[in-house]
Amino acid sequence: MIALENFLILSTILFSIGFFGVLSRKNAILILISVELMLAAVGINFVAFASFFDTSQLSGHIFTLFVIAIAAAEVGLALGIIIRLFRDRNSVNIDEANDLKW
Amino acid sequence: MISKYLYLLPEIILLTTGLLVLFLDAFSKELDVGRRIFGPLTIFGALSAGLVSLLFLGEEKILFNIYSVDNLTSYFRILLCGILFLLVLGTQEYNEKRIQHVGEYYFLLLAATLGGIVMVAGVELLTIYVGLELLSFSLYVATSSLINDKKSGEASLKYVLIGGVGSAILLYGLSMIYGASQSTFYEVIQVNLANPEIINLELLILGLIFFFAGIGFKLSAVPFHMWAPDVYEGAPTPITAFLSTSSKAIVIGFLFRFLAGPLLPVMEYWQWLILTLSVLTMIAGNLIAIQQSNIKRMLAYSSVGQIGYILMAFPSLSSETLSAALFHLTGYLVTNLLIFIVVALFYTKHDETQMIDDFRALSDRQPFLALALSAGLFSLAGMPLFAGFFTKFILFQSVVQNGYLWLVVIAVTMSTVSLYYYLQVIKQMYLYDDDKEDSKWSPSLSGIFTTGILFFFMIFLGIYGTPFYAFAEKATMILF
Amino acid sequence: MFSKIPLPDQFDRLIITGGIVTASTTLFILSILLILKFLDFISYTEVFFWLISTGMIIGALASVLLKNIVHAVFSILAPLLGIVAIYLFLGSEFLALAQLLIYGGGVVILLLFALMMTNVQDQPLVEDGSQKPFSIIICILIGLILISRLLSADLNLSTVSSAELSVLAGVIFTDFLIPFLLVGLLLDIALTGALLNGKTHNVVATKRDGD
Repeated sequence: MIALENFLILSTILFSIGFFGVLSRKNAILILISVELMLAAVGINFVAFASFFDTSQLSGHIFTLFVIAIAAAEVGLALGIIIRLFRDRNSVNIDEANDLKW
Repeated sequence: MISKYLYLLPEIILLTTGLLVLFLDAFSKELDVGRRIFGPLTIFGALSAGLVSLLFLGEEKILFNIYSVDNLTSYFRILLCGILFLLVLGTQEYNEKRIQHVGEYYFLLLAATLGGIVMVAGVELLTIYVGLELLSFSLYVATSSLINDKKSGEASLKYVLIGGVGSAILLYGLSMIYGASQSTFYEVIQVNLANPEIINLELLILGLIFFFAGIGFKLSAVPFHMWAPDVYEGAPTPITAFLSTSSKAIVIGFLFRFLAGPLLPVMEYWQWLILTLSVLTMIAGNLIAIQQSNIKRMLAYSSVGQIGYILMAFPSLSSETLSAALFHLTGYLVTNLLIFIVVALFYTKHDETQMIDDFRALSDRQPFLALALSAGLFSLAGMPLFAGFFTKFILFQSVVQNGYLWLVVIAVTMSTVSLYYYLQVIKQMYLYDDDKEDSKWSPSLSGIFTTGILFFFMIFLGIYGTPFYAFAEKATMILF
Repeated sequence: MFSKIPLPDQFDRLIITGGIVTASTTLFILSILLILKFLDFISYTEVFFWLISTGMIIGALASVLLKNIVHAVFSILAPLLGIVAIYLFLGSEFLALAQLLIYGGGVVILLLFALMMTNVQDQPLVEDGSQKPFSIIICILIGLILISRLLSADLNLSTVSSAELSVLAGVIFTDFLIPFLLVGLLLDIALTGALLNGKTHNVVATKRDGD
């Protein structure tokens, strides 16, 4: 059987990679993707903990279900805003959007 | 069964009003309703929700194990509904003039307030997460609601991306805390964390670090504050007001319940985290504010700094410091709302260039607004006679009594520093002569009325704030 | 708008090259794992776990490192669909299904659609921010610290309990009714926001026609 640590380490790696993407990318869509990676890591964590507790704990599973729903909604919302920004200035790079100092 | 849901009446009122506004907006042509109806409807909804919450004072009821209706919830319900009421009342003219889809905009404000109440009242991690996202999503959209303004879309994009990162980090922390404590219910977490045999310390400490980083993003505490000035600048001014008042109050309210409840047994592990956040926030927020020439950016950094003072209460968690923090939070909310409503009233008539120089010679043109704005700024700096002094004094006193003298020394120094940049605005308003021609304008009657109420309330808190302090004490008593 | 969507040559190339790359990587990892299996280091369950998690990590790395934005968006499929398998390992069939439908069917399509509506066909190569080396160091540090703490955490839990869908539904619709209802409102807000921003407003539309 696969131990809990394996799942946690997998989620840690995904989380770090996602965070790296957030820090290093300039394109808004790619930043959004990296945020999705981080949320995927959160999902693994919750389900892993929930499955390995021997009590009939279901909060973790339900939490992940809600995280999936909310993350999908966030993608939709963020893409709407990205499209608007693209229409405004023909670019989705956040550092070319410099009417405000970044 | 039905009576259970009666405890949610204020939330239900907010939700119904919001959906009604959204519905009327969507079918405005068919039903022949003008866009002027949405403001009064929202005001009515917020007012009735606030008044209904008065009915639940003194109640102690936990619904479904996840939602607590008690004095703290009532306090925040009244506070948040009051802010929404005054905000919409004061800035109605601004909204109708600048914002194209005013119905959706009011719906978002109502939904954000609802999410905030859920976040403060929730006693279970999933509930508070949903409340937090409800608040954040509404604010992401509301920030982008100046359709023809490029800055607004840009601010919204930055907000949604950084807000998403903040949520992800917060959730990662919560998942670790869930792993360490094996539950998402506050009660069980508290019991499990108090039992050294059950908890896994390594997981818990990692979780706490991520949790506080995420909270830092949501509170715009230094070093996670970089989004705040941009978003404050690009958002419509009433939304900026909402961001710097309600949205911060909500996260602080959540921290009251979470830190004094489930995380109390492991206080030694998170004390230093919040201490660091508090010190950095106080110092950096106030120092960066000095260089700003844009009024909304300046106020953004100033409210970053102000949050640092409130965070001081958490390292020495006790009944007195928490009620002092809640009292100071109230004073801060009243003052900041006053300032932002005056700024919004000013930019209703003028182009929103947002420079501090815009306020040049305001005292000649609008003596009352100038007086209210300078009183508000003095109050933020902690001058006597205003709310800021009395509430801050009580907060500092309680923190000193709990043995954090050096923290208060930093805070007092930073208060003095903050006086410098507040005085810059006051100097522009009073010491310069009018060099503009368009001096004939007057704010709307409701705007003057709101400013008057807040002004009165601010002075009242500063001179005779004891009843409110007693109320705050009663609200935090539930936590211990 | 639709004439600018790069069909079919770019997509053909993308799918063929992507398929070849994915297949060869999978075969490579699989052969290593099978050798380990026959040397009796690991069991078949572990072969699958390692195969999927390596694939997820490679996909995640590709999505944050690749210069071509279309490739990067396609590589996110690996970690997002790999999670389906991870949820199955953890005994949560319903979550696996939800993840598959929402991410595989919804989010990735939405991302690609948004990608095609922006200027990707003119300049598919993106530049990264100047803080890239700095963030590599930060993230490797965070990852190493987390992993080392987790390894020393001594988690002696080893039973996997599965989440029955009926039990899950029961809990959601009784205990977690309030958050469930609120998520509905939240989706409404997201919809409002996407409409408000995505809709072409008159002023902007005339400006676009001009250029």
